[in-house]
Amino acid sequence: MNAPASSPSPLLRQLPAGFDALHCEFEDVLFCLPVDLTLNGETTSAWLMVSETTCAVAAMQADAVMVQSGPFHLDHADKARLLQTVGSAFLQLRIDGVYVNVARFSNGLREMHGRGVTQIKRLLAGDAFQDEALTSKSETICSDCGMALPAAKAPCPRCTRKGGIFTRTLGLMRPYWSSILMLLGAMIVGVALDLVPPILTRYLVDDVITPKANLHWLPWILGGLVAAALFSTALNVLIGRTTSFVGTRITKELRERVQTKLLGLSVDYYNRNSAGSLMSRVMGDVEYFQSFVSQVAQGFLLNVLLVLGIGTTLFVMNWKLALWVMVPIPFVLLGTMIYWKVVYPRYYRVWDSQSKMSQSLHGLLQGIRLVKAFGQEEREQERFAKSAAYVQASKRSLEMSAATFNPMMGFVFGLGGLIVWNAGGRDVLDGHITLGTLMAYFGLLGRFYSPVQSLSNFSSWVTGFIAAGQRVFEVLESNNQLEQPEQPKTIKRMQGRIELRNVTFGYDPYAPILKNVNLTIEPGQFVGIVGKSGSGKSTLVNLVCRFYDPQEGQVLIDGVNVRDLAENDLRKDVALVLQEPFLFRATIAENIAYGRPEADPISIVHAARAASAHDFIAKKVAAYDTRLGENGAGLSGGEKQRLSIARALLTDPRVLILDEATSSVDTESEQQIQEALAHVCKGRTTIAIAHRLSTLKNADVIYVVDDGRIAEHGTHDALVESNGIYAKLVKIQTELSRLEAA
Amino acid sequence: MKSNIIPFHAPTSSVTVRRLHADTITLTRDSHAMLTCTISGDALPYRGVCALLLFPISRPDEWVSLRFTDATDKDREIGIIEDLRAFPEDTQQLIRESLARHYHEQKIVSIVSIQQRYGQLFFKVRTQRGEEEFVTPWRQDRAEDWGTSGRVLLDALNNRYLIPDMNALKPRELRLLRTYIYW
Repeated sequence: MNAPASSPSPLLRQLPAGFDALHCEFEDVLFCLPVDLTLNGETTSAWLMVSETTCAVAAMQADAVMVQSGPFHLDHADKARLLQTVGSAFLQLRIDGVYVNVARFSNGLREMHGRGVTQIKRLLAGDAFQDEALTSKSETICSDCGMALPAAKAPCPRCTRKGGIFTRTLGLMRPYWSSILMLLGAMIVGVALDLVPPILTRYLVDDVITPKANLHWLPWILGGLVAAALFSTALNVLIGRTTSFVGTRITKELRERVQTKLLGLSVDYYNRNSAGSLMSRVMGDVEYFQSFVSQVAQGFLLNVLLVLGIGTTLFVMNWKLALWVMVPIPFVLLGTMIYWKVVYPRYYRVWDSQSKMSQSLHGLLQGIRLVKAFGQEEREQERFAKSAAYVQASKRSLEMSAATFNPMMGFVFGLGGLIVWNAGGRDVLDGHITLGTLMAYFGLLGRFYSPVQSLSNFSSWVTGFIAAGQRVFEVLESNNQLEQPEQPKTIKRMQGRIELRNVTFGYDPYAPILKNVNLTIEPGQFVGIVGKSGSGKSTLVNLVCRFYDPQEGQVLIDGVNVRDLAENDLRKDVALVLQEPFLFRATIAENIAYGRPEADPISIVHAARAASAHDFIAKKVAAYDTRLGENGAGLSGGEKQRLSIARALLTDPRVLILDEATSSVDTESEQQIQEALAHVCKGRTTIAIAHRLSTLKNADVIYVVDDGRIAEHGTHDALVESNGIYAKLVKIQTELSRLEAA
Repeated sequence: MKSNIIPFHAPTSSVTVRRLHADTITLTRDSHAMLTCTISGDALPYRGVCALLLFPISRPDEWVSLRFTDATDKDREIGIIEDLRAFPEDTQQLIRESLARHYHEQKIVSIVSIQQRYGQLFFKVRTQRGEEEFVTPWRQDRAEDWGTSGRVLLDALNNRYLIPDMNALKPRELRLLRTYIYW
């Protein structure tokens, strides 16, 4: 059997055993890495050997070393790279202008070979070999148990085991222990009270009604029954109110915790999880926790107590009859186990169907204008009907199981009652027991079977709870956060000097978007960034905002690595205006003051005026108090954008980043926004990404990004004169404008 | 070091698709087993050529993109082969070999067991190369749709395990898979 991909062989500092035949060629071997695929994709157990001058891949075959690839002389190569393909990767050397395959390996060995390629690059560049870089702790495999981690740098779920869903939920209940203990106490008293009516009934029948004697006991027995019922009612009120109090508080706090956790997760997490699925966790799954206390206390513990208490009483009263009572129990247990196994997966499907329907509806409502513009209402109707049918099918399947299971259990219990009638009736007729005892027995029988049936139904709730709990804890325990510095550095007054030093970054670490980018932006400079779509422009500003950390190199603000900077400083002094402005369902004033809620009205008006937004706001009936609809519904694209600029300005950031801020608005709005920007950019570092090059004419420096590299930089005039990529883009846009004008 | 870097010369405008025909291209293998593509009318041959499928699920024998890396390390498309079967056998063979290098995944023949422990799924499966085990986080991004009835399972390290047709699994295996991969 092939070894699991989670346990790759370690690297070697010497030739592998049996490779002596290659000793001459690899006398000065630096490292050897395991290779698990031939270049054609067949499984192999080979080694990539790298020396100062040579590299090759070889494997043992029938007691002989067979070179599978190479040897390649490094002085014939000028570059090395790791080429990611679908499901595997290649280590390649550029020899004579062409990348040549040296080794192929599965993705399980990618991290190790990624480090190997870095060292080969160093050798090609004449830099010193870094032995420690090869052996640093793996980010993808647990160094203690060897299991693949769920995400890079994530804690190992096996080594940091936190127990099951119930154990972890009990951890959440810690602040409510006193209320929960009080509940338990009340329930025990309740169980004792439940035993009183049948026992009193027995005395009533056997000692008062049947012998027609002791009539003076009657009011006392009836009084006892009334008192027991009163106490029981009072206890039920107490239990109900306490479980509701604890349950609603837990749900509220848990929902807040999940939301706080979501806010702290990196942008990368949101790339991997849909908004619909996360919404369903916060809204629906958390709801399950509200009933945790009541279900565990009343649905489980109380019923267990009742079964034990009443069961013991039944045995004490008549052990032979009690054994008949137990006949249905094995069938109930068996039925519950089968039900659990069948129903468990169906809960997941219900959740999945609801989550997909919510995603579908969310997408439809967001893109309603597009749907109408393309006349695709019917298609969307069909698409939604499919989602709704999936919900219907999955719910039906779940509910039908319950609808079948519950009556069947009722039937089994009914049979139990008939068995007791038969056996108990014979005993009464034979004079072994009194009628009062049988009556009391039946009183207790109902009280015994009812909690047993509740316990079997409890399995249904547990199934749903485990499914929901799994998803909630997945968010709560997610480690997808950027590392925060232990002792963050602060910048008292940010100047706004930005430097990218040898930055390489890819959303997939082995497919870099930005490749060894170097650039420096001086405080107060207005810098333009241009390039084709997908060239890496937005990625570059994502790094300045520290939405991601680069795999190599550093991003520095005022000389401080953003990794070391206090997050608050970064967010306070770096503002971002996006192509699609996002506005909250709140007043215009609240939207502008989003980053500085304590701002006074005059500051808000100043910011709005600076962003050329004041006049259109003032004309609204409720002016700054106008309550906006979903994402600024009721405002034009240009108005929304000016509000988002005002929001950025109110924080008085030292660095202002405009990511295609004017590309989705009409020419007139663009002109107004440009005027606003010309005013607000003064005195602060501004990075503007723009497709319309005319908007960057006055930039101090323009950087042209091409395929993840800075291809050109300079002023508009200098770049036009140099006749490179920028000049070509200018020519294309000029031509387009001319065509539009014609 | 001797350099023979090919400058990129755009074969056609960047917005039009260049279709490659059997009578205009020649593919050969160089000393490092890399493909070289010569197109009649183009000044220089393209070296280090690789192929990939534009519709790998729905049309695995059609719409093959031939690509190479230019002198500035940019990935460039030479052109597109509409139907591979229209090419000579030896050319088809070279392109299929190149495609085999681009795709690597294990085909799951049957599912032996799936266990869920601490939020991870432990799979024991039979693939075309024998019995294998892999572990993956129990997350939705770990199972992708493949065509209308297939699924690709990605392990924690992004190795790919393909189930070409879920309906071809035995009912017990399908039930087991759907217990965990329910979406």
